[in-house]
Amino acid sequence: MERRECDILIIGSGIAGMSAAIHASHLSKGKLRVCLVSKLHAMRSHSVSAEGGISGVLYGSENNDSPDMHAYDTVKGSDFLADQDAVEILVKNAPKEIEFFDHIGVPWSRTGKGSISQRPFGGMTIPRTAFAADKTGFFMMRALYDELLSYGNVEILHEHYVTSMLVKRGKFICAYAVNLADRSGKVLSAKSCIIATGGYGRIFNFTTTAHSSTGDGVALAYNSGLPLKDMEFIQFHPTALVPTGVLITEAARGEGGYLLNAKGERFMERYAKSKMELAPRDIVSRSIITEIQAGRGILHEESGLSHVLLDLRHLDPEVIDEKLPMVKELTMKNINVDPHNEPIPVRPGAHYTMGGIHVDVHGRVFLDEKRSVAGLWSAGESACVSVHGANRLGSNSLSECAVWGRITGTEAARHAMSAGQNSALDAKSIGDFYGEEDEKIYELLNGSGSVNPYKLRDEMHGIMEKHMYVYRKVGGMKEAKKRLAKLYSMSKSICIEDKSTVYNTNFRDALEIKSLIALAYVATSCALERKESRGAHAVVEHSERDDRKWLKHTIAVKRGDSVGMYYSQVSITKWKPEKRVY
Amino acid sequence: MTNRIWVFMTYGSIVGIPAMASLFVLAHYLFPGIAYVFEALLALALITNFITGMREIYIVSKPIPDKLVVEPVSHVPAEATQRGQGKAVNIVISRFNPDRGIIEKKEYSVAADKYTSVLSALIKVKNYQDNTLSIRYSCGMGICGSCGMNVNGRPSLACETNLLKSAENGKVEVSPMLAHPVMKDLVTNFDDFFEKHKAVSPHIYKEDAGEKYGHGGISRQSREDLVKFLPFSYCIMCGLCLDACPVENTNPNFAGPQALSQVYRYAEDSRDGKGEKRIEMVNSKDGIWGCEFAGACSEVCPKGVDPASAIQLLKAKKIGQMLDPNYCQGEKSGADGI
Repeated sequence: MERRECDILIIGSGIAGMSAAIHASHLSKGKLRVCLVSKLHAMRSHSVSAEGGISGVLYGSENNDSPDMHAYDTVKGSDFLADQDAVEILVKNAPKEIEFFDHIGVPWSRTGKGSISQRPFGGMTIPRTAFAADKTGFFMMRALYDELLSYGNVEILHEHYVTSMLVKRGKFICAYAVNLADRSGKVLSAKSCIIATGGYGRIFNFTTTAHSSTGDGVALAYNSGLPLKDMEFIQFHPTALVPTGVLITEAARGEGGYLLNAKGERFMERYAKSKMELAPRDIVSRSIITEIQAGRGILHEESGLSHVLLDLRHLDPEVIDEKLPMVKELTMKNINVDPHNEPIPVRPGAHYTMGGIHVDVHGRVFLDEKRSVAGLWSAGESACVSVHGANRLGSNSLSECAVWGRITGTEAARHAMSAGQNSALDAKSIGDFYGEEDEKIYELLNGSGSVNPYKLRDEMHGIMEKHMYVYRKVGGMKEAKKRLAKLYSMSKSICIEDKSTVYNTNFRDALEIKSLIALAYVATSCALERKESRGAHAVVEHSERDDRKWLKHTIAVKRGDSVGMYYSQVSITKWKPEKRVY
Repeated sequence: MTNRIWVFMTYGSIVGIPAMASLFVLAHYLFPGIAYVFEALLALALITNFITGMREIYIVSKPIPDKLVVEPVSHVPAEATQRGQGKAVNIVISRFNPDRGIIEKKEYSVAADKYTSVLSALIKVKNYQDNTLSIRYSCGMGICGSCGMNVNGRPSLACETNLLKSAENGKVEVSPMLAHPVMKDLVTNFDDFFEKHKAVSPHIYKEDAGEKYGHGGISRQSREDLVKFLPFSYCIMCGLCLDACPVENTNPNFAGPQALSQVYRYAEDSRDGKGEKRIEMVNSKDGIWGCEFAGACSEVCPKGVDPASAIQLLKAKKIGQMLDPNYCQGEKSGADGI
């Protein structure tokens, strides 16, 4: 049995995971043994794809902004489902994080005076999104990775996939990881563990997320019996490029881009008169689909997808070249369209999952309704704190990752410094756990399964695109749940064709697809129960928000093969729910 | 492999001449008083570089190692499971078989439209024709740096390479990068590459670490200062430049274009406190002076980083230091402590 013992285990290497690793290391002055596990090369996590920027009030006295205004925008954007105590933590700490990223080398776009530029973003009343051209997430990732290399106490395990986690007697004990290079398994035991594995956008086919956004950490928690929160809330980004689904940043509209229908009308006038294209994403996405359903969309012949147009032709050419270079790069390379001269075909695509592992404002993972797991945190998209509620505002995700990366890293370090050694009881559990996991993987590779994982995944995609997209219908969700339940049971008898021990991606894909199907099933089950429309969850039959019955978080727990559900209160501090008009 | 030898040479002259010219302009700007001396030295250095570079390139390139016997193409027929309509394109994949230690060429047929990238075609092959194919990929939008490989012999990001445009007579050849050890099929090992990057201390240095982690305040950085290093910060660590580099392919100790470009990136950042001492770290035969200015790295970089220029600029900076009357060998401090 190969066993790695460390003080802090961090699963996932995006902005949240690497921030946690850095702050834990800094706090302990490089003494704690930190192990960062990534199923990719650590610097390649999906955070690199974040484009538009990171929100935070930097120069409030100059532009009449304040953390309270940022908080209000966020709460209103969330359709009042966000926990306001968490939102206050976010807005208070976000500026500090932007400053930290300045110190570690992010090439922020600058004003003529040399201060950090900020641009308008959807649902934000004041330009408060700091950016580094339109590759903000990428630059933050590179800065974090490079900074992390300066710490000798951090071991990075590239391309290791965590298949399972042992939580016993209310405490995190260890995790089991498979090294993709040679498929060997190892047990990673730690005093503290942080799950920062990102979202599960890949339950959809037309998505802006990376192929690797498969919700592995969320499924890990779910399979360990830990509660998930608000899984039905999935954000569809209004401007995913047709036909590839690649993200065209909201910054394109922040810098002045228009959305046009087939008639050439700026249709947002009908849906959000004051904010127009810069209304929150759920509203813009619904508006686009409404236009398409009313026959004012444009059919893309090769893919069969209907779309609208994102028009940047009226912008100063320099704005595109300097502030939106990646938009141009992507449209040129993907569809051979130059945004200077031609409008860009776009439609809503799955982009961000508001739901995730149920954590408190410190990022501590809940064990049940009241207690939390000792030594276990989650941060970033894999966690649901919740600061985004039913709909996230653009550029709040990077701040969330940075803020809770630091909070959980700091907490995990303090815990590790004060916690004692593992007990003999734990040692026995670890031995048993290793044996069981080893056997499970042997079984998966050599068992009698006959189901092709890619076929299962395609079927899931078909169901999700049809019934769980921007508008949902009760009947459709019922049908989806029934069919997903079947896929879920089929996912237990997957067949892996590739028996190789070296870089076996067939094996990894199978594990990812199992995670995805479980999460698609949970999301659909939760969605079916919520009989209202709030934020990204729009039900045709229940088109109004219902605060009396549904101002509450959905909590989902694994109960055998079905999903157990209960609800928890929304924390409201300063902002009472009101009608959401833009 | 002969094709690639000539490719390097052509790249060298395309990138080299304008780069040399721009260095001369730079010299005038930086050292107006002694520009002529500087120019002469620089020209000498670059010409020597060119000549030695060309000779090196003539003599050696990275052949496929002897043990990697290339097997004949085996035809895998297109299957009914193919998705979508469009033109049929045959992809010939050089697959490294780790059990047998050889490369086996296999041919697959996929349906492609004008939007199909090489990566999406490979994923189709994996999902619907041959589940055993190994590919490394993630974002699909040219920013994570996972899917570097050779497409028709040219180091490329598969997700950014259009399949139909790459097809010659309905055929596209795909093979793994060879400057990195091959693991399986198209997947290569990046351990050495990451070590080389780490070895140049690629992070902002501050005398007082508290400034970094405490409240040093947001720095002021002018746009002029930003553009000095911005082009070099676009590096996505895909490893293509190493695959193209003739020096890297013959001297495994060479720091390589990726790491060297990052030295320049951090040295030029106004927020960095280590400044010119960074150059000392790579002031060696396996560092900047190992570069023979073939320019292949810049030619293949999918993000326009231009490592070749970064390295020549580092050389110019070093020569500038040496021409400084106050420069003294004894005083120079090493890389330690960065």
